[in-house]
Amino acid sequence: MKTIDQSTQYVLDPELAKMVEVSMALEMPLLLKGEPGTGKTMLAHALSRSLEMPLLVLNVKSSMKLVEALYQYDTLTRLNDSRFGDSSRDVSRIEEYIRMGKIGQAFTSDTRVVLLIDEIDKADTDFQDDMLDVLDQMQFDIMEIDKTIKAIKRPVIIITSNSKKDLSDPFLGRCNFHHIAFPDPEMMTRIVKVHFPDLDRKLMDQAVEQFYRLRTLPGVEKKPATRELINWVRALLTDPGFSRGEALKKELPFLGVLFKRSEDLFLAQTDR
Amino acid sequence: MFLEFFRALKEEGIPVSLKALLSLEKALEAGTVASLDDFYVVARGILIKSERYFDLYDRLFGAHFKALAVDLPRSVEARMEKLLEQWLSERSRMAGALPDGTELTPEELEEYFAARLQDQKERHDGGTRWIGTGGASPVGWGGSHPTGMRVMGRSTRLSALKVAAQRRYYDYREHRRLDPSQLGEALNRLRLLTPTGPRNRVDVEATIGATMKNGGEIEIVYSRELRDRLRVVLLIDNGGVSMDPHVGVVKALFDHARGQFKELKVGYFHNTIYDRVWLHPRRTSGAVTLEELAKEGRETRLIIVGDASLSPYELLYPDGRIQWGDRSSAPGIMELRRLRNQFPHAVWLNPVGDHLWRYTQTIGMIAAVFPMFELSLAGLEKAAAKLMER
Repeated sequence: MKTIDQSTQYVLDPELAKMVEVSMALEMPLLLKGEPGTGKTMLAHALSRSLEMPLLVLNVKSSMKLVEALYQYDTLTRLNDSRFGDSSRDVSRIEEYIRMGKIGQAFTSDTRVVLLIDEIDKADTDFQDDMLDVLDQMQFDIMEIDKTIKAIKRPVIIITSNSKKDLSDPFLGRCNFHHIAFPDPEMMTRIVKVHFPDLDRKLMDQAVEQFYRLRTLPGVEKKPATRELINWVRALLTDPGFSRGEALKKELPFLGVLFKRSEDLFLAQTDR
Repeated sequence: MFLEFFRALKEEGIPVSLKALLSLEKALEAGTVASLDDFYVVARGILIKSERYFDLYDRLFGAHFKALAVDLPRSVEARMEKLLEQWLSERSRMAGALPDGTELTPEELEEYFAARLQDQKERHDGGTRWIGTGGASPVGWGGSHPTGMRVMGRSTRLSALKVAAQRRYYDYREHRRLDPSQLGEALNRLRLLTPTGPRNRVDVEATIGATMKNGGEIEIVYSRELRDRLRVVLLIDNGGVSMDPHVGVVKALFDHARGQFKELKVGYFHNTIYDRVWLHPRRTSGAVTLEELAKEGRETRLIIVGDASLSPYELLYPDGRIQWGDRSSAPGIMELRRLRNQFPHAVWLNPVGDHLWRYTQTIGMIAAVFPMFELSLAGLEKAAAKLMER
């Protein structure tokens, strides 16, 4: 097995690295939870890069039906072809009108892929359970042509959930679980450094320190996460007045990048 | 040893399945676990499926894979003293990590510490092995920040036992008291308070759409009958310091949810309800008698928020009231029963964690009148379900 390297824009926490390794060994999906903006989705991207496997992303939506994630039977094109008959497709062969969804693509790919199923909590419980059936058996049926699609190479499956509410028991029973704890300041400094290798040391320390202080302001509902910090540093760099040194000690600009709710922003602005 | 640990997890109420245990065995066979550190992570990832149990897992792991046991004197007092001493020696670090960063006096610290120890004891019957870990865990708790991050960044990777002792997941426990950062989640739970009718209306537009998709074969789509939104009466105990931190959260929660209800009426009381509540938080104006409240109708949902911790005297003795404005002469508990009879759909939310209820007499007495739930995400969900019962 290839080891996961930690270089590419993503700082892998050793606990998480272990769980990825175990999940790949056990051929089980890995369910990731954690505060929004702590890099759940980023992990799959980093994984696909370091394992050199293509990445397929299934963005789950609340109205989604499982079959959409598996395949689609394009009846409209077939109707169009049968009326005008100017395509190279054979109208009598339904197979030509079956398009694979993300899970279908992952199964039919000749190379092993990383399949990211993002924000599974958006869909209803039936979707979740049925999907796990498919992922468990690594196969599904296309009803229209009575054909079974089997996975050629078992994909590496990462599932993310934002909800603090638990998913159903049968679902959880088939996954391994990891909760991404919010990074401590030291880890955070490393994360920022990976994104901004040339960042001024003083600015870095100041930004991280202020970030953690702002996170603990009493009354804040939506706490800024890693993503907000990265964006904030990016914003700071655009302003020559703040791009280096200890200017943050006097004034905190661009707080709107960190706080998205107006009440929270107000709290942060009036804090000092 | 392995199975024993598994059994301990189960006994403490963590839902661990046999299948997960077999997966763990498989992981061990596959050679992915080379050390106790690895085992800590891998066993957690495979056996425990929710961060709510991570804190409990940490404690059990620590207890089970001993090593942490502090050499402690036998009597509880002496033990406490020793632990306190140990704790105080790192005081500056601990104080910085306490909830609002306030500097605590040694007395306050001691009190706080005693409460923690109490916590440990009642859940684990004071086994000596447990106390050993218990002694270390408040320190671990102190070391972890209220927002779920470690305050002290350490450069070396910690051994699993030390990591477990840090109690990093303290904030994710199932029974964490509701706080502002959980408002979004709490609102989701309140959404349960939306009545839904049976699916018995033909949705003509959707039927046409579905029929066309079906190639002309009729497909009838039903939609839910509309039901009126709920009327809610929310009564908050805002007297006394013990309730202060919770009043704001509850108020904010229901303010956000206001649109979901047909009408939301908020009233205030102190300790328990006699013949009236006040619409004004200062409880000097806007008095509403229980008779007037009853006019809201029996379908109105009544939600009372209070710690239900008062002197039994206030509840049982006629004229037991501690507030001059209350003119009732009936014992408080009678008034509560009267209120309960007027509102068949009523719940009591208590910011005191339910594992502590049995230590306060009046909580039990009030819980016998109103279905009581703790003011946490889990409790809120159960309370909402209770309110929607027919």
